[in-house]
Amino acid sequence: MGISQFMTDEHRACDDHFAAAEQAAVNGDWETAEKEFLAFSNDTLTHFKREEDELFPAFETQTGNTQGPTQVMRYEHEQVKGLIGKLAEALEAQDRDAYLSLCESMMILLQQHNMKEEQMLYAMCERLLPPDLKEETLNKMKQVEL
Amino acid sequence: MFNQNGLSLDQAPPISVVFRFFLSGSLFGLLAGVLVLLFGTEIFNADTPQALILTHTLTLGAMLSFMFGALFQMLPVIAGVKLTAPTKKAALVQYPFVLGVVLLLSAFETGKAPLFISASVLLGGTILGIAAVMLKNLLALPNHSNSSRGMTVALVSLTLLTLLALYMTGTLSGLWSGAGYSEVKTAHYSFGLFGWIALLIISISFQVIEMFYVTPAYPNFISKSLPMRLFGLLLLGSIGAFFFAQSWFFVDIAIVIFLLCYALMTLRRLSQRKRPIADATVWLWRTGMVLLTLSASATLTTRFYPVASLQAINYIFFAGFALSIVFAMFYKIVPFLTWFHLNAQGYFTAPMMHEVIHPKTAMKHLYIHLATLAAFLVSIYYAPAIYLAGSLLILSFGWMLWQIIHAWELYIHTQKTGEKFEMSMPEAEG
Ligand SMILES: [Fe+2]
Ligand SMILES: [Fe+2]
Repeated sequence: MGISQFMTDEHRACDDHFAAAEQAAVNGDWETAEKEFLAFSNDTLTHFKREEDELFPAFETQTGNTQGPTQVMRYEHEQVKGLIGKLAEALEAQDRDAYLSLCESMMILLQQHNMKEEQMLYAMCERLLPPDLKEETLNKMKQVEL
Repeated sequence: MFNQNGLSLDQAPPISVVFRFFLSGSLFGLLAGVLVLLFGTEIFNADTPQALILTHTLTLGAMLSFMFGALFQMLPVIAGVKLTAPTKKAALVQYPFVLGVVLLLSAFETGKAPLFISASVLLGGTILGIAAVMLKNLLALPNHSNSSRGMTVALVSLTLLTLLALYMTGTLSGLWSGAGYSEVKTAHYSFGLFGWIALLIISISFQVIEMFYVTPAYPNFISKSLPMRLFGLLLLGSIGAFFFAQSWFFVDIAIVIFLLCYALMTLRRLSQRKRPIADATVWLWRTGMVLLTLSASATLTTRFYPVASLQAINYIFFAGFALSIVFAMFYKIVPFLTWFHLNAQGYFTAPMMHEVIHPKTAMKHLYIHLATLAAFLVSIYYAPAIYLAGSLLILSFGWMLWQIIHAWELYIHTQKTGEKFEMSMPEAEG
């Protein structure tokens, strides 16, 4: 499995936890919501760390460009992290309306981010990185922990 | 207008660029409602100038405005295309566009050559200009998604149908004799309805349905090949018509079968979505897909049993389909943009999406929309109902106008009164 496939699969897995948490919040099952949201935020933050610690530096070294796309991706990670914090607050307060409203924003923000990575950044990595570096980066990414 | 630089910093264009197109779309929608009140059931007779005027008020004035607004929102994400100095340039294309639509509608009413010519210059220039810039950036993409590939094909259709329209307005203003006028006319509206409107909606759905509602992916035979096949069929029908009178008969049948497959598959995907909320946008997508299914079935039926009332019904089904999806996109884009920009500018007090447009407000619009469609259908058999239909159409677009103004006021109010912290990254001008 290549970098692009591995990371895209992770995006989808995060979506599943996110949808499950939202479903639970709709049902008023806050315990499940909390569990699924925790899984979502842990997976998402780990995924971001894989990118920021391994993938982006590999891309930057290879292309010599540290101000380009990776900078944008890092900035968007910060936006998503901000929203994760707000979602956690709404969850804590069991504020259904606020939680569902923030879910809408999160979904669009995160999907737009993922789309850019899948269509551009990952695709560029697949093309630009030499095969052994790709393999090494993928292995290192798999070992990243929060 | 656009600048290709791989990945754009902004996940959204300046809010005013999108809102101004939504605003003009709503105003043309209001005008369409007024025209229905003035014209009555004459609009159902496709050969009347009234039908021509209303159709172009809806498709060119209202829908194209909304679709440009939505494309300005989506292209930076889909294609990594960044608008440069967009606020001024958007205004620069919007004013001549709006003026061009008004002139064209007056030209249809009066038949005066100078009106046709000035409308052609303004509309041809702006539509072809916007399409060319968008196409240039889409074609430069290193990797295409199904969505961006479909949009590219849809924009090529828009370009073709505009060129065909210019040939017709040139004929109507006496610039040339207009050989093959009726073949060109059929090609023009076929590319308009299927190549542009349906194909753009289809391409948007490849992204919106899968990603925002979290559904399984569309099967490849739809997402990979449908846009090109649809386009190929349209070309075949248009060119074939010059040699073979029955060419559209077979092409139309093939097109509606594709559209049926797509609509039924989308309904299935919507029922398989993992996100639980059935908000107004989900129901609008469903309404749109049911109407597309009905429209395709009606088209098939009229090919074998030409019934005049069925054609009028089909007109309502197809317009209802396109408007449902326009509304569905509107209720996602307006709250998101308002929230996104204020949040990115660092305002603690940025309203949440539900505070910009409450889900119940969007739900009410869905009911108005359904009532409008019902009233139009009734008016085919009971003519006085057309006045109810026209009034409901005014209410429907008035509802949107109110949402845009409300969101804009909230945006300005938050900027004036809200507390913010300074962010390190620059945010585009609002
Ligand atoms: Fe990322
Ligand atoms: Fe990612």
